[in-house]
Amino acid sequence: MNAAVSTGGRRWLWVTFWILTFFLYAPLVILVIFSFNDREFVSFPWEGFTFRWYQTFLDNDEIFKSLRISLLVASVTAVVTAVLAIPASIALVRRRFFAKSLVSGMMLAPLVIPLVVLGISLLILFNTIGIEASPLTVVIGHVVIALPFAILTLVPRLERIPVSLEEASRDLGANWLTTFRQITFPLMAPALFSAFLLSFVISFDEVVVASFVAEDATFPVYLLSQLRLPRQLPQVIAVAVVILVISAIIVIAAEVLRRVSDRRLESLTTVQEEEVAVT
Amino acid sequence: MTEAGVAISIQGVHKSFGDVRAVDGISLDIAEGEFITLLGPSGCGKTTTMRMVAGFEEPDAGSILLRGADVVGVPPNKREVNMCFQHYALFPHMDVEKNIEYGLKLKKVPKGDRQKIVGEMLEIVGLAGMQARKPGQLSGGQQQRVALARALVNQPAALLLDEPLGALDVKLRKQMQLELKRIQHELNTTFVYVTHDQDEALSMSDRIAVMNQGVIEQLGAPREVYEQPATPFVADFVGVLNAMDVRVDEVAGEDLVMKVNERDRIVVPVGPTGTDAGVGSSLLVAVRPERVNLGAGEAALNGGSRLSGTVRQVVYLGTLTQFYVDTSIGKRLIVHHLSDDRSSTVNEGDEVVLTWARDDAAVLSGS
Amino acid sequence: MATDTTAAPPVADARIGGTPLPRRPRRRGSWRATSALLATPSIWLIVFFVVPVVLVGLYSVGALTLLKNDDYLSLENWRFFLASDTYLSLFWKSVRMSLGVSITSVLLAYPIAYLLALIAGRRKYTLLLVIIVPFLTSYLLRVLAWRVILGQQGVINTFLHTTGLRDEPISWLFYSQFAIYAVLAYVWVPFVALPIFVSLESLDEHLLEASSDLGASRFRTFWAVTLPLSLPGVIAGFTFVFIPTIGEYITPQLVGGKGGFMFGSAIQSAFTAGLDWQFGSAMAMFLIFAVAVLLAVFGRFLNVRSVA
Repeated sequence: MNAAVSTGGRRWLWVTFWILTFFLYAPLVILVIFSFNDREFVSFPWEGFTFRWYQTFLDNDEIFKSLRISLLVASVTAVVTAVLAIPASIALVRRRFFAKSLVSGMMLAPLVIPLVVLGISLLILFNTIGIEASPLTVVIGHVVIALPFAILTLVPRLERIPVSLEEASRDLGANWLTTFRQITFPLMAPALFSAFLLSFVISFDEVVVASFVAEDATFPVYLLSQLRLPRQLPQVIAVAVVILVISAIIVIAAEVLRRVSDRRLESLTTVQEEEVAVT
Repeated sequence: MTEAGVAISIQGVHKSFGDVRAVDGISLDIAEGEFITLLGPSGCGKTTTMRMVAGFEEPDAGSILLRGADVVGVPPNKREVNMCFQHYALFPHMDVEKNIEYGLKLKKVPKGDRQKIVGEMLEIVGLAGMQARKPGQLSGGQQQRVALARALVNQPAALLLDEPLGALDVKLRKQMQLELKRIQHELNTTFVYVTHDQDEALSMSDRIAVMNQGVIEQLGAPREVYEQPATPFVADFVGVLNAMDVRVDEVAGEDLVMKVNERDRIVVPVGPTGTDAGVGSSLLVAVRPERVNLGAGEAALNGGSRLSGTVRQVVYLGTLTQFYVDTSIGKRLIVHHLSDDRSSTVNEGDEVVLTWARDDAAVLSGS
Repeated sequence: MATDTTAAPPVADARIGGTPLPRRPRRRGSWRATSALLATPSIWLIVFFVVPVVLVGLYSVGALTLLKNDDYLSLENWRFFLASDTYLSLFWKSVRMSLGVSITSVLLAYPIAYLLALIAGRRKYTLLLVIIVPFLTSYLLRVLAWRVILGQQGVINTFLHTTGLRDEPISWLFYSQFAIYAVLAYVWVPFVALPIFVSLESLDEHLLEASSDLGASRFRTFWAVTLPLSLPGVIAGFTFVFIPTIGEYITPQLVGGKGGFMFGSAIQSAFTAGLDWQFGSAMAMFLIFAVAVLLAVFGRFLNVRSVA
């Protein structure tokens, strides 16, 4: 007998789950369907199946420009975030220090802050210092947002790497840098890659902060602006659908990779008993 | 022991973690080529001491000399000792060869030499030909040997082993104990071994340092530690012990005697422990269970002790049988006897006579 | 015994090949390493997170100005804001919305997390991924999709119309408070499910078995054992929705119609169209204080582990 749930309850929970999942995906599926609608407005009635929205966006310079900007911003964000997250995670996992909860609080705070606050505060900062709006300013904001996610991806992984591995490396003669390069980094790599992809996707999808500090629109900002112009909408939706699919693939790939390598790490660091006393 | 022969000298070392005094004044000279064990319960400071020698902790006070040079403050990667970790700490993403040659590579030993040295070391530890295996493909015992090889390949001044056999099952552990001893002899490296398993310590060591609450309670060869424990803790921790409160009734030449009743008495020599005891003193006397003879009504051995009692419990342990006997001095004693025809005739409830020779008892303390 | 240390040998400096080995001072070495590690990320966050917030504060009290006729060093903006009925009630409206959204999300997310953690067995991580992917990939699209569904000419109304169930489109489905709650809850449920899942997953199943063994019904086991032990995850999930959503303005504007103007919208327009940075800063600062208070209250239940 399962102490967690009865058979009837189990069935009911699965039903609920699938219903909720259905509702999670249905709107997106509907949107995808409507992107094939031969109508200039994204709504009923259905006027025929067409690929034309997917074809015409290729001619749309504005869309491409915003895509390029988003791509640039997301890539740089991912790199910077990963680079910053590594030492932060190492410090949080391996070291004891004064005011640790304060520091980790600061690192994770952007997770809870309303994005509008983040956006306007950066706007003020750049204005006060005199930095012009550009993809760089968007990167700065996105790194702040993505950093907690990256740290939360790296920390569990680092916790699973036994300290004794790093101690063994030092015991055998390696200094901190060599130990990091030879031992910690290779073992951390899958989680690092996941953190990289996660930061990329977060940045690519972010709209609030970007709308405050960007000069040229990123794709989500562009998409938002087009929502007031229903005529342009089908094209933009088509692009968004493509991006959605790509992002989904990226996220899935990152997660699968992380899981596979986690399992490998577990099996390698678990001591196996011998059954028979023979080498 | 000449100075030239001292591999490690620990002098007056103290270490505290917050309020806890983990190591409270330890001094120890470890000779070259010696197999010495730090033995004690968890929390006694043995692992901390080892880590200070390795360089992963720094003492609050005192010095640690490696072959005459003070290494306090020197980081672990620059010290000439190597460590074998409790759970092996093999690098999971490198194969056996890369694991073992790790230290050599750091010392810039050329590739050809490295391969040769690794091959030889694998032979010594009994894993010839396994260079390409990954740690995940090895059993516990095999991983243990790789960890050993990885450390020894650097020809350290001393090898520090932190409870390396703890994760192995009993039979394998016994086998590995012999292996470790063999390897140590073959290479003549100084081994500093940390364990809480006293059987392990007794069987493998040249000397044992029994530690408790941050201090060394006794330092000596296994036989000495077992048969002449210096303190109650050592007596109790190493092996099973019978400890009795004895009141001195009579001093007869070289002996102190407690007269329990008409036929029972406990005799203790006034020996090298130098007890300044006289009539009326209280002593704590210990005797090992296997030194106690189980009989039925015989007279005492010449000059030895004799107690009568009733068998309360018989425990069969295979090679040995344990008897728990309530004796005439009001203390329950444990007697170990080989499981033979003799011992199988003794049952619970039987009246027995316990005797032991005068020199088989030791005085632990007195007032 | 060989423990005689009275005749200690002369101590030489440890050397390798004639050069003295590097030494670190006894206690200070590790602090340098830690600060080296923390330096760059901390500096980034201080410059681009903490300092900007300070600047917002400065603007709100007039220490900084944007336009020529802005107030200088005055609390006028604060006074106006705190005295005004409209803005304060706008704040509370946003708080109510956020509260509603958060509670709904938690209620919907809990069964999902429960199922995945305790029942789904081997498939749980895959199914978790299935739930999470939409959250990470498409905020705007998902909001937009609901327009398509809930709108006057949207899926639901068209369906009702064509099947003859209803002639008039349901007005409250879209451009309404209902739409805001529904869409935002929909957006956040996957995210809230995560920490609840984590805390349920770390639940020792033996505890449930023990409870059952002692005579408790499944419901009682849930109430007395599972729920309390999963509470940290629930609180974490709740906090992660509640606090940021107070400032949420895009979805309300897109699906809320006339009633979709929120506190965040007011801040946004103060900084873009309205160009009243000082007043906007006062509002933002108020929101920041509210966030800080909430974090202090809820923060006690949070630690890194309950989230990762």
